Amino acid sequence: MIFDRPSSIELLKAVNHFLDDKIKSEVPAHLAFKLRIVENVLNIVIREIELGQELSEDVTKDLKELIELDAANIDDLASLIKAEKINIEDESLKNLLVKLSKNKIAVDNPNYSTFKKLVE
Amino acid sequence: MTEDLGNILKEKLANTSIEGEIVNLEPLTGGASKEIWKFEVNANGKSDRYILRRGSGVEGPLAIKTSDEAKIQKTVRKLGAQVPEIVAVSSLDEELGDAYIMKFVYGESIARKILRDEEYKNTLPKLAFECGQSIAKIHQADINEFPFLPSKTVFEQINDLYQTYVSFNQPSPVFEYTHLWLKKQNFGEINDALVHGDFRLGNIIVDKDGLKSVIDWELAHIGNPLQDLGWICGNSWRFGNTNKVVGGFGDLADLLKGYNSVSNYHVDENMVKAWQVFGTFRWGVICLIQASAHLTGSINSVEKAAIGRRVSETEIDIVDLLFLGGK
Repeated sequence: MIFDRPSSIELLKAVNHFLDDKIKSEVPAHLAFKLRIVENVLNIVIREIELGQELSEDVTKDLKELIELDAANIDDLASLIKAEKINIEDESLKNLLVKLSKNKIAVDNPNYSTFKKLVE
Repeated sequence: MTEDLGNILKEKLANTSIEGEIVNLEPLTGGASKEIWKFEVNANGKSDRYILRRGSGVEGPLAIKTSDEAKIQKTVRKLGAQVPEIVAVSSLDEELGDAYIMKFVYGESIARKILRDEEYKNTLPKLAFECGQSIAKIHQADINEFPFLPSKTVFEQINDLYQTYVSFNQPSPVFEYTHLWLKKQNFGEINDALVHGDFRLGNIIVDKDGLKSVIDWELAHIGNPLQDLGWICGNSWRFGNTNKVVGGFGDLADLLKGYNSVSNYHVDENMVKAWQVFGTFRWGVICLIQASAHLTGSINSVEKAAIGRRVSETEIDIVDLLFLGGK
Protein backbone atom coordinates (compact mmCIF):
# COMPACT_ATOMS: atom_id res chain seq x y z
CA MET A 1 0.00 0.00 0.00
CA ILE A 2 1.30 3.45 -0.94
CA PHE A 3 -0.76 5.32 1.65
CA ASP A 4 0.41 7.06 4.79
CA ARG A 5 -0.80 6.48 8.31
CA PRO A 6 -3.37 6.68 9.69
CA SER A 7 -4.32 3.36 8.10
CA SER A 8 -7.91 2.78 7.01
CA ILE A 9 -8.57 1.03 10.32
CA GLU A 10 -7.03 3.87 12.32
CA LEU A 11 -9.17 6.40 10.43
CA LEU A 12 -12.36 4.44 11.09
CA LYS A 13 -11.47 4.08 14.77
CA ALA A 14 -10.94 7.85 14.97
CA VAL A 15 -14.40 8.45 13.46
CA ASN A 16 -15.97 6.00 15.89
CA HIS A 17 -14.27 7.67 18.82
CA PHE A 18 -15.53 11.07 17.67
CA LEU A 19 -19.11 9.82 17.36
CA ASP A 20 -19.01 8.20 20.77
CA ASP A 21 -17.18 10.99 22.57
CA LYS A 22 -18.64 14.14 21.04
CA ILE A 23 -21.87 13.36 19.19
CA LYS A 24 -23.70 10.73 21.24
CA SER A 25 -24.46 13.08 24.13
CA GLU A 26 -25.70 15.79 21.75
CA VAL A 27 -28.46 13.95 19.87
CA PRO A 28 -32.03 13.02 20.89
CA ALA A 29 -32.85 9.44 21.91
CA HIS A 30 -34.14 8.20 18.55
CA LEU A 31 -30.94 9.40 16.85
CA ALA A 32 -28.73 8.01 19.61
CA PHE A 33 -30.20 4.62 18.76
CA LYS A 34 -29.26 5.09 15.10
CA LEU A 35 -25.84 6.36 16.09
CA ARG A 36 -25.21 3.08 17.85
CA ILE A 37 -26.03 1.29 14.60
CA VAL A 38 -23.57 3.57 12.76
CA GLU A 39 -20.84 2.69 15.27
CA ASN A 40 -21.63 -1.01 14.83
CA VAL A 41 -21.36 -0.65 11.06
CA LEU A 42 -17.93 0.96 11.38
CA ASN A 43 -16.84 -1.84 13.68
CA ILE A 44 -17.93 -4.44 11.10
CA VAL A 45 -15.80 -2.68 8.48
CA ILE A 46 -12.82 -2.53 10.87
CA ARG A 47 -13.09 -6.27 11.63
CA GLU A 48 -13.52 -7.15 7.98
CA ILE A 49 -10.35 -5.24 7.03
CA GLU A 50 -8.46 -6.84 9.93
CA LEU A 51 -9.71 -10.44 9.72
CA GLY A 52 -11.69 -10.83 6.50
CA GLN A 53 -9.06 -12.34 4.27
CA GLU A 54 -7.86 -14.89 6.81
CA LEU A 55 -11.42 -15.96 7.73
CA SER A 56 -12.39 -16.33 4.07
CA GLU A 57 -9.29 -18.38 3.18
CA ASP A 58 -9.91 -20.62 6.19
CA VAL A 59 -13.31 -21.53 4.69
CA THR A 60 -12.10 -21.77 1.08
CA LYS A 61 -9.36 -24.24 2.06
CA ASP A 62 -11.91 -26.68 3.54
CA LEU A 63 -14.29 -26.04 0.67
CA LYS A 64 -11.69 -27.08 -1.93
CA GLU A 65 -11.10 -30.33 -0.05
CA LEU A 66 -14.82 -31.02 0.14
CA ILE A 67 -15.80 -30.40 -3.46
CA GLU A 68 -12.39 -31.00 -5.08
CA LEU A 69 -12.53 -28.04 -7.43
CA ASP A 70 -9.63 -25.59 -7.43
CA ALA A 71 -11.75 -22.55 -8.16
CA ALA A 72 -14.55 -23.56 -5.79
CA ASN A 73 -16.35 -20.73 -4.03
CA ILE A 74 -19.32 -20.33 -1.70
CA ASP A 75 -21.74 -19.88 -4.62
CA ASP A 76 -20.68 -23.28 -6.01
CA LEU A 77 -21.35 -24.91 -2.66
CA ALA A 78 -24.79 -23.29 -2.49
CA SER A 79 -25.57 -24.62 -6.00
CA LEU A 80 -24.44 -28.16 -5.13
CA ILE A 81 -26.62 -28.23 -2.02
CA LYS A 82 -29.57 -26.80 -3.91
CA ALA A 83 -29.28 -29.50 -6.60
CA GLU A 84 -28.60 -32.14 -3.90
CA LYS A 85 -25.43 -33.07 -5.78
CA ILE A 86 -23.66 -33.33 -2.47
CA ASN A 87 -24.57 -35.74 0.32
CA ILE A 88 -26.32 -33.48 2.80
CA GLU A 89 -25.80 -35.97 5.61
CA ASP A 90 -22.01 -35.80 5.12
CA GLU A 91 -20.29 -34.72 8.36
CA SER A 92 -17.60 -32.74 6.56
CA LEU A 93 -20.32 -30.69 4.80
CA LYS A 94 -21.96 -29.98 8.17
CA ASN A 95 -18.58 -29.02 9.65
CA LEU A 96 -17.95 -26.67 6.75
CA LEU A 97 -21.34 -24.98 7.19
CA VAL A 98 -20.54 -24.50 10.88
CA LYS A 99 -17.13 -23.01 10.07
CA LEU A 100 -18.59 -20.74 7.39
CA SER A 101 -21.23 -19.46 9.80
CA LYS A 102 -18.73 -18.93 12.63
CA ASN A 103 -16.28 -17.06 10.39
CA LYS A 104 -19.00 -14.76 9.04
CA ILE A 105 -20.37 -13.88 12.47
CA ALA A 106 -16.82 -13.30 13.74
CA VAL A 107 -16.80 -10.20 11.52
CA ASP A 108 -20.48 -9.25 11.59
CA ASN A 109 -21.13 -9.58 15.32
CA PRO A 110 -18.62 -11.45 17.53
CA ASN A 111 -20.74 -10.57 20.58
CA TYR A 112 -23.65 -12.60 19.23
CA SER A 113 -24.81 -15.06 21.90
CA THR A 114 -24.69 -18.23 19.80
CA PHE A 115 -21.17 -17.45 18.59
CA LYS A 116 -19.96 -16.77 22.13
CA LYS A 117 -21.57 -20.00 23.33
CA LEU A 118 -19.90 -22.02 20.55
CA VAL A 119 -16.39 -20.60 20.92
CA GLU A 120 -16.27 -20.68 24.73
CA MET B 1 -42.56 18.83 9.69
CA THR B 2 -43.67 18.16 13.27
CA GLU B 3 -46.00 21.16 13.19
CA ASP B 4 -47.59 19.99 9.93
CA LEU B 5 -48.08 16.51 11.35
CA GLY B 6 -49.66 18.05 14.47
CA ASN B 7 -52.23 19.85 12.31
CA ILE B 8 -52.97 16.72 10.29
CA LEU B 9 -53.47 14.76 13.51
CA LYS B 10 -55.76 17.40 14.90
CA GLU B 11 -57.89 17.30 11.78
CA LYS B 12 -58.05 13.50 11.85
CA LEU B 13 -58.99 13.40 15.53
CA ALA B 14 -61.70 16.02 14.97
CA ASN B 15 -63.75 13.19 13.39
CA THR B 16 -63.64 11.32 16.69
CA SER B 17 -64.67 12.64 20.06
CA ILE B 18 -61.08 13.62 20.81
CA GLU B 19 -60.58 17.35 20.73
CA GLY B 20 -57.94 19.59 22.19
CA GLU B 21 -54.48 20.96 21.74
CA ILE B 22 -51.85 18.53 20.43
CA VAL B 23 -48.59 18.86 22.36
CA ASN B 24 -45.29 17.05 22.87
CA LEU B 25 -45.40 15.34 19.47
CA GLU B 26 -42.18 13.30 19.27
CA PRO B 27 -40.87 10.46 17.12
CA LEU B 28 -40.12 7.20 18.94
CA THR B 29 -37.61 4.52 18.11
CA GLY B 30 -39.77 1.92 16.48
CA GLY B 31 -39.42 -0.90 14.02
CA ALA B 32 -37.25 -0.41 10.96
CA SER B 33 -40.26 -0.05 8.67
CA LYS B 34 -42.82 2.13 10.46
CA GLU B 35 -42.84 5.62 11.91
CA ILE B 36 -44.05 5.83 15.50
CA TRP B 37 -44.89 9.11 17.22
CA LYS B 38 -46.15 9.87 20.70
CA PHE B 39 -48.22 12.91 21.53
CA GLU B 40 -50.63 14.32 24.06
CA VAL B 41 -53.99 15.97 23.67
CA ASN B 42 -54.74 18.71 26.18
CA ALA B 43 -58.35 19.66 26.81
CA ASN B 44 -60.23 21.02 29.81
CA GLY B 45 -57.16 20.98 32.00
CA LYS B 46 -56.42 17.33 31.41
CA SER B 47 -53.99 15.54 29.16
CA ASP B 48 -54.31 12.17 27.38
CA ARG B 49 -51.47 10.31 25.70
CA TYR B 50 -51.66 8.69 22.26
CA ILE B 51 -49.46 6.87 19.77
CA LEU B 52 -49.46 7.35 16.02
CA ARG B 53 -48.28 4.41 13.91
CA ARG B 54 -47.71 5.22 10.29
CA GLY B 55 -46.44 3.22 7.29
CA SER B 56 -43.56 4.74 5.39
CA GLY B 57 -45.33 4.06 2.09
CA VAL B 58 -42.78 1.39 1.14
CA GLU B 59 -44.11 -1.97 2.34
CA GLY B 60 -42.11 -5.19 2.57
CA PRO B 61 -43.37 -8.29 0.77
CA LEU B 62 -44.53 -9.80 4.08
CA ALA B 63 -46.03 -6.73 5.73
CA ILE B 64 -49.72 -5.84 5.67
CA LYS B 65 -51.19 -2.33 5.46
CA THR B 66 -50.95 -0.32 8.66
CA SER B 67 -54.70 0.39 8.57
CA ASP B 68 -55.33 -3.39 8.40
CA GLU B 69 -53.25 -3.80 11.57
CA ALA B 70 -55.77 -1.53 13.24
CA LYS B 71 -58.71 -3.64 12.00
CA ILE B 72 -57.19 -6.79 13.51
CA GLN B 73 -56.57 -5.13 16.85
CA LYS B 74 -60.13 -3.86 17.03
CA THR B 75 -61.44 -7.37 16.40
CA VAL B 76 -59.20 -9.26 18.83
CA ARG B 77 -59.76 -6.63 21.52
CA LYS B 78 -63.44 -7.54 21.48
CA LEU B 79 -62.40 -11.16 22.20
CA GLY B 80 -60.49 -10.11 25.28
CA ALA B 81 -56.97 -10.14 23.83
CA GLN B 82 -54.63 -7.53 25.28
CA VAL B 83 -54.13 -4.90 22.56
CA PRO B 84 -54.13 -1.09 22.58
CA GLU B 85 -57.42 0.70 21.98
CA ILE B 86 -57.55 2.14 18.46
CA VAL B 87 -59.13 5.61 18.29
CA ALA B 88 -58.70 6.52 14.60
CA VAL B 89 -57.66 4.79 11.37
CA SER B 90 -56.37 6.54 8.24
CA SER B 91 -56.10 5.05 4.77
CA LEU B 92 -53.33 5.67 2.25
CA ASP B 93 -55.35 8.28 0.31
CA GLU B 94 -55.86 10.48 3.39
CA GLU B 95 -53.40 13.20 4.32
CA LEU B 96 -52.11 11.22 7.30
CA GLY B 97 -51.46 8.25 5.00
CA ASP B 98 -51.67 4.56 5.92
CA ALA B 99 -51.78 4.93 9.70
CA TYR B 100 -53.70 4.63 12.93
CA ILE B 101 -53.86 6.34 16.31
CA MET B 102 -54.12 4.35 19.53
CA LYS B 103 -54.28 5.10 23.22
CA PHE B 104 -50.90 5.07 24.91
CA VAL B 105 -50.26 1.95 27.00
CA TYR B 106 -48.18 2.52 30.11
CA GLY B 107 -45.34 0.03 30.45
CA GLU B 108 -42.15 -0.97 28.70
CA SER B 109 -41.53 -2.53 25.28
CA ILE B 110 -37.75 -2.27 25.00
CA ALA B 111 -36.45 -5.83 25.34
CA ARG B 112 -33.17 -5.08 27.06
CA LYS B 113 -34.86 -2.95 29.72
CA ILE B 114 -37.46 -5.61 30.43
CA LEU B 115 -34.74 -8.25 30.76
CA ARG B 116 -32.43 -6.16 32.96
CA ASP B 117 -34.35 -3.58 35.00
CA GLU B 118 -35.13 -4.34 38.64
CA GLU B 119 -38.73 -3.23 38.06
CA TYR B 120 -39.56 -6.34 36.01
CA LYS B 121 -37.88 -8.97 38.13
CA ASN B 122 -41.21 -10.28 39.41
CA THR B 123 -42.73 -10.14 35.92
CA LEU B 124 -40.15 -12.25 34.11
CA PRO B 125 -40.74 -15.61 35.88
CA LYS B 126 -44.43 -15.64 34.87
CA LEU B 127 -44.09 -13.90 31.51
CA ALA B 128 -43.65 -17.10 29.43
CA PHE B 129 -46.91 -18.49 30.84
CA GLU B 130 -48.73 -15.20 30.17
CA CYS B 131 -47.34 -15.00 26.63
CA GLY B 132 -48.60 -18.55 26.02
CA GLN B 133 -52.08 -17.56 27.21
CA SER B 134 -52.05 -14.39 25.14
CA ILE B 135 -50.93 -16.17 21.96
CA ALA B 136 -53.62 -18.83 22.44
CA LYS B 137 -56.28 -16.13 22.81
CA ILE B 138 -55.21 -14.51 19.52
CA HIS B 139 -55.38 -17.93 17.86
CA GLN B 140 -59.01 -18.32 18.93
CA ALA B 141 -60.17 -15.43 16.74
CA ASP B 142 -62.55 -16.41 13.92
CA ILE B 143 -60.45 -16.29 10.74
CA ASN B 144 -63.53 -15.30 8.72
CA GLU B 145 -63.25 -11.86 10.34
CA PHE B 146 -60.06 -11.20 8.38
CA PRO B 147 -60.76 -11.63 4.64
CA PHE B 148 -58.09 -8.99 3.90
CA LEU B 149 -55.27 -11.05 5.41
CA PRO B 150 -53.05 -13.33 3.32
CA SER B 151 -53.54 -17.04 4.05
CA LYS B 152 -50.56 -19.35 3.57
CA THR B 153 -49.66 -22.91 4.43
CA VAL B 154 -46.22 -23.37 5.93
CA PHE B 155 -44.91 -24.95 2.73
CA GLU B 156 -46.21 -21.99 0.69
CA GLN B 157 -44.46 -19.69 3.16
CA ILE B 158 -41.22 -21.69 2.91
CA ASN B 159 -41.39 -21.46 -0.87
CA ASP B 160 -42.14 -17.71 -0.78
CA LEU B 161 -39.26 -17.06 1.61
CA TYR B 162 -36.95 -19.21 -0.48
CA GLN B 163 -37.90 -17.46 -3.74
CA THR B 164 -37.40 -14.09 -2.04
CA TYR B 165 -33.93 -15.18 -0.91
CA VAL B 166 -33.14 -16.43 -4.45
CA SER B 167 -34.27 -13.11 -5.96
CA PHE B 168 -31.52 -11.26 -4.08
CA ASN B 169 -28.88 -13.30 -5.90
CA GLN B 170 -26.71 -13.78 -2.85
CA PRO B 171 -26.36 -17.57 -2.53
CA SER B 172 -26.07 -18.93 1.01
CA PRO B 173 -25.06 -22.58 1.49
CA VAL B 174 -26.72 -22.53 4.95
CA PHE B 175 -30.02 -21.22 3.57
CA GLU B 176 -29.96 -23.80 0.75
CA TYR B 177 -29.43 -26.53 3.35
CA THR B 178 -32.18 -25.07 5.55
CA HIS B 179 -34.59 -24.99 2.63
CA LEU B 180 -34.05 -28.71 1.93
CA TRP B 181 -34.39 -29.52 5.64
CA LEU B 182 -37.58 -27.51 6.10
CA LYS B 183 -39.28 -29.14 3.11
CA LYS B 184 -38.97 -32.53 4.86
CA GLN B 185 -40.43 -31.53 8.23
CA ASN B 186 -43.79 -32.24 9.84
CA PHE B 187 -45.18 -28.92 11.07
CA GLY B 188 -48.29 -30.39 12.67
CA GLU B 189 -51.84 -30.73 11.35
CA ILE B 190 -53.70 -27.91 13.05
CA ASN B 191 -56.58 -25.76 11.80
CA ASP B 192 -55.64 -22.37 10.40
CA ALA B 193 -55.76 -19.43 12.80
CA LEU B 194 -54.96 -15.74 13.05
CA VAL B 195 -51.16 -15.69 13.42
CA HIS B 196 -49.61 -12.56 14.93
CA GLY B 197 -46.40 -13.25 13.07
CA ASP B 198 -44.02 -11.25 15.26
CA PHE B 199 -44.91 -12.03 18.89
CA ARG B 200 -41.76 -11.41 20.97
CA LEU B 201 -40.09 -8.88 23.27
CA GLY B 202 -40.08 -5.56 21.47
CA ASN B 203 -43.64 -6.13 20.32
CA ILE B 204 -45.25 -6.62 23.71
CA ILE B 205 -45.70 -4.08 26.48
CA VAL B 206 -45.16 -5.27 30.04
CA ASP B 207 -45.20 -3.59 33.42
CA LYS B 208 -44.31 -4.78 36.91
CA ASP B 209 -47.51 -6.86 37.03
CA GLY B 210 -47.03 -8.69 33.74
CA LEU B 211 -48.06 -8.63 30.08
CA LYS B 212 -50.12 -5.54 29.25
CA SER B 213 -50.44 -5.32 25.48
CA VAL B 214 -49.51 -6.92 22.16
CA ILE B 215 -48.42 -4.45 19.48
CA ASP B 216 -46.88 -4.39 15.98
CA TRP B 217 -49.22 -6.53 13.89
CA GLU B 218 -47.63 -5.87 10.52
CA LEU B 219 -46.66 -9.53 9.91
CA ALA B 220 -50.10 -10.91 10.79
CA HIS B 221 -51.60 -13.54 8.49
CA ILE B 222 -53.77 -16.65 8.47
CA GLY B 223 -51.92 -19.94 8.83
CA ASN B 224 -50.65 -22.65 11.17
CA PRO B 225 -50.80 -21.15 14.69
CA LEU B 226 -47.70 -23.02 15.90
CA GLN B 227 -45.66 -20.46 13.97
CA ASP B 228 -46.12 -17.92 16.80
CA LEU B 229 -44.80 -20.43 19.36
CA GLY B 230 -41.69 -21.26 17.33
CA TRP B 231 -41.02 -17.58 16.59
CA ILE B 232 -40.77 -16.44 20.21
CA CYS B 233 -38.39 -19.38 20.83
CA GLY B 234 -35.89 -18.24 18.20
CA ASN B 235 -32.50 -17.17 19.49
CA SER B 236 -32.85 -13.90 17.52
CA TRP B 237 -35.38 -12.80 20.15
CA ARG B 238 -33.47 -13.84 23.30
CA PHE B 239 -31.38 -10.66 23.32
CA GLY B 240 -28.28 -12.44 24.55
CA ASN B 241 -29.98 -14.63 27.19
CA THR B 242 -29.47 -17.65 25.01
CA ASN B 243 -30.19 -20.23 27.75
CA LYS B 244 -33.72 -18.87 28.23
CA VAL B 245 -35.45 -20.37 25.21
CA VAL B 246 -38.62 -18.27 25.35
CA GLY B 247 -37.75 -14.69 24.49
CA GLY B 248 -34.64 -14.64 26.70
CA PHE B 249 -36.79 -14.81 29.85
CA GLY B 250 -38.61 -18.14 30.08
CA ASP B 251 -38.79 -21.87 29.50
CA LEU B 252 -40.66 -23.66 26.75
CA ALA B 253 -42.60 -25.76 29.29
CA ASP B 254 -44.08 -22.59 30.85
CA LEU B 255 -44.97 -21.06 27.48
CA LEU B 256 -46.82 -24.24 26.51
CA LYS B 257 -48.49 -24.55 29.93
CA GLY B 258 -49.92 -21.07 29.38
CA TYR B 259 -50.88 -21.85 25.80
CA ASN B 260 -52.52 -25.18 26.61
CA SER B 261 -54.48 -23.61 29.49
CA VAL B 262 -56.43 -21.57 26.91
CA SER B 263 -56.15 -23.54 23.65
CA ASN B 264 -58.64 -26.17 22.46
CA TYR B 265 -55.81 -28.41 21.28
CA HIS B 266 -52.66 -29.55 23.07
CA VAL B 267 -49.16 -28.56 21.93
CA ASP B 268 -46.10 -30.68 22.90
CA GLU B 269 -42.53 -29.44 23.17
CA ASN B 270 -41.41 -31.63 20.25
CA MET B 271 -43.77 -29.75 17.88
CA VAL B 272 -41.78 -26.54 18.28
CA LYS B 273 -38.30 -27.30 16.89
CA ALA B 274 -39.20 -27.30 13.16
CA TRP B 275 -41.00 -23.98 13.75
CA GLN B 276 -37.92 -22.58 15.49
CA VAL B 277 -35.81 -23.35 12.42
CA PHE B 278 -38.55 -21.98 10.16
CA GLY B 279 -38.75 -18.79 12.23
CA THR B 280 -35.00 -18.30 12.17
CA PHE B 281 -34.91 -18.77 8.40
CA ARG B 282 -37.85 -16.35 8.09
CA TRP B 283 -36.05 -13.70 10.15
CA GLY B 284 -32.96 -14.21 7.97
CA VAL B 285 -34.99 -13.56 4.83
CA ILE B 286 -36.65 -10.53 6.44
CA CYS B 287 -33.14 -9.17 7.11
CA LEU B 288 -32.35 -9.70 3.41
CA ILE B 289 -35.55 -7.87 2.44
CA GLN B 290 -34.74 -4.93 4.71
CA ALA B 291 -31.19 -4.68 3.40
CA SER B 292 -32.37 -4.89 -0.18
CA ALA B 293 -34.53 -1.78 0.28
CA HIS B 294 -31.26 0.04 0.89
CA LEU B 295 -29.19 -1.81 -1.72
CA THR B 296 -31.65 -1.20 -4.54
CA GLY B 297 -31.70 2.49 -3.68
CA SER B 298 -35.42 2.66 -2.82
CA ILE B 299 -34.45 3.94 0.65
CA ASN B 300 -31.04 5.20 1.76
CA SER B 301 -30.84 3.97 5.33
CA VAL B 302 -27.83 2.94 7.38
CA GLU B 303 -30.23 1.00 9.63
CA LYS B 304 -31.42 -1.12 6.72
CA ALA B 305 -27.89 -1.50 5.36
CA ALA B 306 -26.70 -2.76 8.75
CA ILE B 307 -29.45 -5.36 9.00
CA GLY B 308 -27.97 -7.10 5.93
CA ARG B 309 -25.09 -8.14 8.15
CA ARG B 310 -27.49 -9.74 10.63
CA VAL B 311 -28.28 -12.55 8.20
CA SER B 312 -25.21 -14.33 9.56
CA GLU B 313 -26.80 -14.35 13.03
CA THR B 314 -29.59 -16.51 11.65
CA GLU B 315 -27.13 -18.79 9.84
CA ILE B 316 -25.18 -19.54 13.02
CA ASP B 317 -28.45 -20.10 14.91
CA ILE B 318 -29.62 -22.57 12.27
CA VAL B 319 -26.38 -24.60 12.22
CA ASP B 320 -26.51 -24.61 16.03
CA LEU B 321 -30.10 -25.95 15.98
CA LEU B 322 -29.47 -28.51 13.22
CA PHE B 323 -25.96 -29.79 13.91
CA LEU B 324 -24.74 -28.70 17.34
CA GLY B 325 -27.58 -29.58 19.69
CA GLY B 326 -28.82 -26.01 20.07
CA LYS B 327 -32.19 -25.46 21.73
